[in-house]
Amino acid sequence: MTDEQYVVVRNDEEQYSIWPAGRTLPAGWHDAGFGGAKQECLDHIETVWTDMRPLSLRQGG
Amino acid sequence: MVTAKEWEAPASFGQERIWLADQMDPGSPVFNLPCPVEIPYAIEADAIEAALTALAERHEVLRTSLRVVDGTLRQVVHAGITPDIRVHDLRGLPEEERRARTLGHIQAANGEPIPTDRAPMWRVTAVRAEDARWVVTFVTHHAVFDATSAVILQKETVRLCAAAAARADEGGGPVTPAGLAGAAGLPELPIQYADFAAWQRDRIGDEATAGQVEYWRTRLAGLPAVHSLPTDRPRPARLGYAGDEVRFTIPEGVRERATSLGRHSGATPFMVFLTAYVALLSRLSGEDDTVVGVTMSGRELPEVTGLIGMFVNQLVVRADAGGDPTFADLLGRVRATVLDAMENGRVPFQAVVEAVAPPRDPGTQPLYQIGFNYIPDSGIEPIPYTTSKDDLAFDLTTGTSRLLYRTDLFDKETAEAFVARYLRVLDAGVADPGTAIGDLPLVDGAERAALLAASTGEPLAPRAATALRMVEEQVARAPDAVAVVAGDRRLTYAELDEAAGRVAERLRGSGAGPESLVAVCAEPCLELLPALLGVWKAGAGYVPVDPAYPADRVAYMLGDSGAGLVLTRKHLLDTVRQTGRKVGRNGAEPVVLAIDEPAEWPAVSAGTAGDAPTPDAVAYVIYTSGSTGTPKGVAVEHGSVAAYLGWAGATYPGLAGQALLHSPISFDLTVTALFGPLTVGGSVRLAALDDEPGGDGAGLATFLKVTPSHLALLAALPDRVAPEADVVLGGEALPADAVAAFRQRHPGVAVVNEYGPTEATVGCVLARVAPGEELPVDRAGSVPIGRPAPGVAAYVLDGGLRAVPTGVVGELYVAGPQVTRGYLNRPGATAAAYLPCPFGPAGARMYRTGDLARRRADGTLEYVGRADDQIKLHGYRIEPGEIETALRARPGVRDAAVSVREDTVEGKRLVAYLVGEPGSASDVADVDVAAVNDALAAALPAHMVPSAYVVLDVLPLTANGKLDHAALPAPVTAPGESEYVEPRTAAEELVAEVFAELLGVEKIGATDDFFELGGNSLLAIRAIARIRGQIEIDIPVRGLFSYTTVEDLAAEIERRLSEDLDQLSDEDVERMLASEGDGTS
Repeated sequence: MTDEQYVVVRNDEEQYSIWPAGRTLPAGWHDAGFGGAKQECLDHIETVWTDMRPLSLRQGG
Repeated sequence: MVTAKEWEAPASFGQERIWLADQMDPGSPVFNLPCPVEIPYAIEADAIEAALTALAERHEVLRTSLRVVDGTLRQVVHAGITPDIRVHDLRGLPEEERRARTLGHIQAANGEPIPTDRAPMWRVTAVRAEDARWVVTFVTHHAVFDATSAVILQKETVRLCAAAAARADEGGGPVTPAGLAGAAGLPELPIQYADFAAWQRDRIGDEATAGQVEYWRTRLAGLPAVHSLPTDRPRPARLGYAGDEVRFTIPEGVRERATSLGRHSGATPFMVFLTAYVALLSRLSGEDDTVVGVTMSGRELPEVTGLIGMFVNQLVVRADAGGDPTFADLLGRVRATVLDAMENGRVPFQAVVEAVAPPRDPGTQPLYQIGFNYIPDSGIEPIPYTTSKDDLAFDLTTGTSRLLYRTDLFDKETAEAFVARYLRVLDAGVADPGTAIGDLPLVDGAERAALLAASTGEPLAPRAATALRMVEEQVARAPDAVAVVAGDRRLTYAELDEAAGRVAERLRGSGAGPESLVAVCAEPCLELLPALLGVWKAGAGYVPVDPAYPADRVAYMLGDSGAGLVLTRKHLLDTVRQTGRKVGRNGAEPVVLAIDEPAEWPAVSAGTAGDAPTPDAVAYVIYTSGSTGTPKGVAVEHGSVAAYLGWAGATYPGLAGQALLHSPISFDLTVTALFGPLTVGGSVRLAALDDEPGGDGAGLATFLKVTPSHLALLAALPDRVAPEADVVLGGEALPADAVAAFRQRHPGVAVVNEYGPTEATVGCVLARVAPGEELPVDRAGSVPIGRPAPGVAAYVLDGGLRAVPTGVVGELYVAGPQVTRGYLNRPGATAAAYLPCPFGPAGARMYRTGDLARRRADGTLEYVGRADDQIKLHGYRIEPGEIETALRARPGVRDAAVSVREDTVEGKRLVAYLVGEPGSASDVADVDVAAVNDALAAALPAHMVPSAYVVLDVLPLTANGKLDHAALPAPVTAPGESEYVEPRTAAEELVAEVFAELLGVEKIGATDDFFELGGNSLLAIRAIARIRGQIEIDIPVRGLFSYTTVEDLAAEIERRLSEDLDQLSDEDVERMLASEGDGTS
């Protein structure tokens, strides 16, 4: 359970999420280049996702 | 020709098990085994009879009955028996009719129970189909018969009949059984069944067997008490064997691939077929720990190969399907498990049960409830089964196979779907053993398409992109219509818009704008709506804060949201300012303004409206309490609110009338009544639920949204809603009985069950029940949550994010425009809960609700419970909803809740909380707890009967109107509950005495439990036999499994005694009295 591996993923609105490692990523999502246990991935997202507004809103505003 | 001659021998362990199981549902033909034999000879009926008699003379077991002697089960061998042969001459009938009538005769013979206390334990239907063709069908009790016996029986019967035919051809005299046996040339039997039973008994004490017992004790420790496979109906309190079957064939190609896969993996075809079974069970039940009972022939001893008798032994295969292994990996695990089980297979199943000592429950078979039999070459009789020993069991053969299932638990459609899924999983698994079992297909293309269609709501009708735009459209359309009512004050749409404009102007001046947040800490009042719309007009989002919250919580929310402005009311100004000072950052404490202080909001010149908020800007942030950790703010964008209100306005016609806003705006259930009416030209009335309506002439509400817990309050009030209103219920599971009562009083009202977490904007799945429409009810007694709302997709997925089939419990995920932005300033928590959606448009996210749901056959969704607080107790999965429904169904119980508590002296236990109907005598309603407990024990399986009851005046609710689990009090254990209680009645004395003797315990009290003191099922047989010996009463062995304490069993005995008395006719009573008089005079 705890050793299940995930990857950090990101969509075009620069919203972050996690996805089980090795499983095909849904369309529109990209590997953000970080993998590990679930908590490691979430901790990583905590540091990189600094502006939670969707990209289109950031650019429009 | 019954003679008095008989002799006794110990029963085998297998006989003991069968006999005991037979006692659980007496009079069921479940242990009848049919075995047809084709006799291709022109012989007469007397020759058939002679052949059968010869057979019975040869095999003692065919002359055996069972008897309890001094509390132990014995087999009684009779010197001679009269076989029960029913001859039907159907020669000359058209073939079709003959076949139908033959089957009818056989079914009739098979459906009749066979008593085990009389020999022979078999009967025969002999149908003469043609001059030279008989169909002789044996129906034999499983206590003296098994599958291998059938092969022996067929072979020997044919040979004996052949000898009779030969004798007839030779024109010899009448055939005698003895003559036939010699002529048939059957080999002599080295031992008889009773010898085997004695040998088995001798061996049970030896060291090797003790080692095997130890293996099972370890291997099966902590076994799930019952499988988690979804059933169509709740498990009844009593085990019943009523059953049905589904027949199927494993396609030859699949069989070949399975055999070849086995060969390459050092596994038998049986192991491959079992692997697919384990994979399917684990997928359908969501349980990695799978338990299957398999049969072994039990004929390792060479001397027994030719014997008819009950030799099979049940082995428990406990396979771990965890970690999503490939089919090949799982095969490896199953193979190792089966080999281990076989190596330790000498221990009779009954002994394993006693060693493992699983929790007693008369509604559940011990250790396993799902069977798997692989009998490659045995043909399956044409007689359809109407009983099933297991919940589900496969009989796999190379020809016709079948699934047997208990009809108490499963519907035919479910059984058929199970078979189809098995074949699909098996096919895919053997075709590509590298496939993870989670990826093996459970559904076919058509079912997948249907699932997808049921997961998706109607397309969303186009409307304005933000709720604010919708309101402004109504302002322009009907400026003089009433928009807001509070007491005798009111605002028209134009006044509302103007006031909102002033608020917006002032807020903008104070720094509010897109993506900034304004806290609103105020009870509902006339000025509330202009304030909220003003925040939106300024481009900002609002954060509702309930002024009734403790100061620390208010401070937390103000600090966490970083709101630079706080709107409140005059009387709260000081308090809020004080709190604001505490959270002020960098010396900048929030600006606090009173919305009901007119001086704060000077008039502005028209046309100063700023930029309208865009759909992706934040509209509000609502804090969810969350069962664990600190509250999180859910950031909801304007587009999501517009999507929700867009369909709500169209679906709830009552919104165009007057909606009652009665609860704090700090939880999102309120959003519907707060803004919904203003988007469709209706009005919002601010009043408490128990305020008198209509004092201001405003009349009754046409729209009301409450939590199910409010229904009880509503029932106690005079009418609050108009005769044709929309009443929406949300926030928690909706008990159908409460709704039914409400609808009875309000027949013209449309009731809507609206499901939705704050993270998916107010409501996203709904079931609307129109007036007069039948109320749908799920198995937990709740109204199903229904279908996804327009624009919404709602998926039920397994742990690997794959859609589960209809009927299977999975976690509910929501996608579509109502999915919110995430948790304010919490990227990690947001990423964990908002996942990439594999089914929707590119880049879309879906919200993981943490709720368990299952899709019903009609496509609607059923709420099952929270994924993280699923109750498990002593190995059983418990659905509190089912227990609560049973509790509420009791007279005198108005409301009920069930909780598992770990803070009791006795450890983990199930506690029921009851609220009584208000009695006429006193204000505090009293509930007859003992009667409720008795009723539940009769209706529910033992593991679902609460072990403690607490009567409350009212169930504690959270601020949001949901049941507050944390506030439920721990039950008070009655002092001295576990202490010795002297038996109080003659019946209790009798039972206590019998228990004490059998258990070797000196002193047994009225409240002591037979099984807790070390009793087992064998001792139970003896206990009941002794009780029967002492008083003339017909109490079945299962009685002790249902009534396990001295007082309960004694009460049952007294009940049966008085029942017997009631059945006596006046004449009987007179005669008894008379004879008594004779005796005493």
